Amino acid sequence: MLNLFLTSAEQGLVFGIMALGVYITFKVLDFPDLTVDGSFPLGAAVASIIIFNGGNPFLALVLSLMAGMIAGFITGFLNTRAKISGLLAGILTMTALYSINLRVMGQANVTLLNAKTMFTYLEEVLGIPRRWGFISAFVVAVVVVKILLDSFLKTQLGFALRATGNNPDMARSLGINTDAMKTLGLSMSNGLVALSGGLVAQYQGFADIGMGIGTVVAGLASVIIGEMIIGERSVGLATFAALLGSFIYRLSIGIALRLGFAATDLKLLTTILVIIALSTPRIKNLLRIASS
Amino acid sequence: MLKLKNVSKIFNKGTVNENVALSNINLEIYDGDFVSIIGSNGAGKSTLLNVIAGVFPLDEGSIELDDQDITRLPEYERASFIGRVFQDPLMGTAPSMTIEENLSLALCRNKKRGLKWGLNDKLRKEFRVKLAELGLGLENRMNTKVKLLSGGQRQAITLLIATMVKPKLLLLDEHTAALDPSTVRLINDLTEEIVLQKGITTLMITHNMEYAIKMGNRLIMMDGGKVVLDIRGADKALLTVDELVDMFECAARKKFDDDRIMLGLTS
Repeated sequence: MLNLFLTSAEQGLVFGIMALGVYITFKVLDFPDLTVDGSFPLGAAVASIIIFNGGNPFLALVLSLMAGMIAGFITGFLNTRAKISGLLAGILTMTALYSINLRVMGQANVTLLNAKTMFTYLEEVLGIPRRWGFISAFVVAVVVVKILLDSFLKTQLGFALRATGNNPDMARSLGINTDAMKTLGLSMSNGLVALSGGLVAQYQGFADIGMGIGTVVAGLASVIIGEMIIGERSVGLATFAALLGSFIYRLSIGIALRLGFAATDLKLLTTILVIIALSTPRIKNLLRIASS
Repeated sequence: MLKLKNVSKIFNKGTVNENVALSNINLEIYDGDFVSIIGSNGAGKSTLLNVIAGVFPLDEGSIELDDQDITRLPEYERASFIGRVFQDPLMGTAPSMTIEENLSLALCRNKKRGLKWGLNDKLRKEFRVKLAELGLGLENRMNTKVKLLSGGQRQAITLLIATMVKPKLLLLDEHTAALDPSTVRLINDLTEEIVLQKGITTLMITHNMEYAIKMGNRLIMMDGGKVVLDIRGADKALLTVDELVDMFECAARKKFDDDRIMLGLTS
């Protein structure tokens, strides 16, 4: 039981960074970005190939972040400059990333079993045992990312980003370059998603070409679950909600597995969960009309 | 000064739906002018404001503001010196952001937005004073999300946002049309107060003849994409609603007759 809880906490945190990325596009920018399914494995691919070849695992994370930001920038460019719809722009980048990720890894998967990941360093240099190495590293990473993101969203530039998603006409009328803001938001979002991918690769000890499938839906599930529980009264609460949602989501997955569901059924379960969460307001409304 | 020279705008050019929205308009608006614009639907009033704001490009002509040619300047760049308020109270504010955050957005209008905090105690104090001037008690609800406010309250805030940094030009597009009569009076009073106090050059579209006469120092009537009446100063002050309605109907009837001729209905 404690084990389930701890594993869910680890996963909730490490995938929580991905959920924060999804929060930026879906909630702040109101942009349904599917790039995420490609930028998550991109981050994992970049980090794992560097680590596999003996590179510094922390530098690897920085490069994961940057690779993700470039992916997001491309989606932003396709959407704002080539005027391709947001949904399609994301799908195009995601599809292109499949080939790129294969190129980066050179094969369909990379194992890090004998390579020195950041957790090897934590264990050898700082003397933190594996199990606590995971959770403490993820807590530090999540806290840093959350503080930076919350702070950013309270700056003048952050306000401009939020206004762009909230009311683009108004934003433009106040001299905000909404195209630039969209591109900035997409870059930030996919940077975080790829960073999460890089951490996950080190956490599970491998990167795989198929590991990105369903990332968007999982991120969305986290954001929605969190929002249902905590709401979005302020920026700080909204980002906390995404993290809490991520934990609850991983916990429910863990429970589903214990109940005997096959790992391959999880995507179906997640999708059903998201559909229920998204349609709840509508169903409530219908019930209210029916009962009055 | 705002100068429109030979400005034309044609929608769906070269198709059966071709629509001349603005036809060779020449107009000079002087600094400090407060112009009310009237005209029937399709007269070209909104199109006029939209081309000045840069929503779509001109087909012909040029627009100058303070001797700077802004004809080809994109909308968001013009926005740094043009304030706008629309009919729909939902359009001028960011609903999921708080009142103070909305005002902060307005304050950065013609500044480069950077990584400075969007709000601080000094700004909050400043906003509190400005909100108190509206007389709606909003200074005590600065942390409320704008989507929780009424249409009138939102329109008052939009007005504040549009004029927070004094714009060279303020464009009001039927900004009271969606409000109830008492709120209309309130917003019109606020409009007059802010515009006159700051001396902002203003163009205001309205369908209310009474306010069109009462407010501002100049009145323009548009019809068929042309300016058909331009009265200012003392002449405007002497106008009555009846006279204006007569002129309005005269213009409308002319259009009606034109349509009949076009359709071959005159015997």
